[in-house]
Amino acid sequence: MDALNAKEQQDFQKLVEQKQMKDFMRLYSSLVERCFTDCVNDFTSSKLTNKEQTCILKCSEKFLKHSERVGQRFQEQNAAMSQGLNR
Amino acid sequence: MSFLGFGNSQPQLTSEQKISAAETELDLVTDMFNKLVDNCYKKCINTQYTEGELNKNESACLDRCVAKYFETNVKVGENMQQLGQTFTNAGKF
Repeated sequence: MDALNAKEQQDFQKLVEQKQMKDFMRLYSSLVERCFTDCVNDFTSSKLTNKEQTCILKCSEKFLKHSERVGQRFQEQNAAMSQGLNR
Repeated sequence: MSFLGFGNSQPQLTSEQKISAAETELDLVTDMFNKLVDNCYKKCINTQYTEGELNKNESACLDRCVAKYFETNVKVGENMQQLGQTFTNAGKF
């Protein structure tokens, strides 16, 4: 690809920041949905039970660690693939 | 940065075209990553949540899941290319 010049890079960086914000909101709402679906099933009370709260805590922790690990492997695979293309 | 052969762009592209191409590439990679996260979560993570940490099984499963997702990506690409060639050749008769 033609390298982007300084001005283009600046414009692109703005775009990336907007996308990161959006992506973070998407991540947040999808995590709420995931942990709600997996942890909250008892509607005899309108407050989260202790058990549900513990589950939600573990669910969030688990998901963040999950996406961190997948991110690392993703980068490795991506690097290996683009190296293969340049050969 | 080049992904799936995008990036062999013609010379004399306007700034807008170049940025839009970079955006397309970024979207493609982001989309693939999000799909990877969703799919490997479904296949590897135990939703009993007995612990917040990833356990050994889950970690090993995730590593293999990511590798296989990439391999599947490549295989599907090859298959599609082959199908495309079959079509193009058939058109020559």
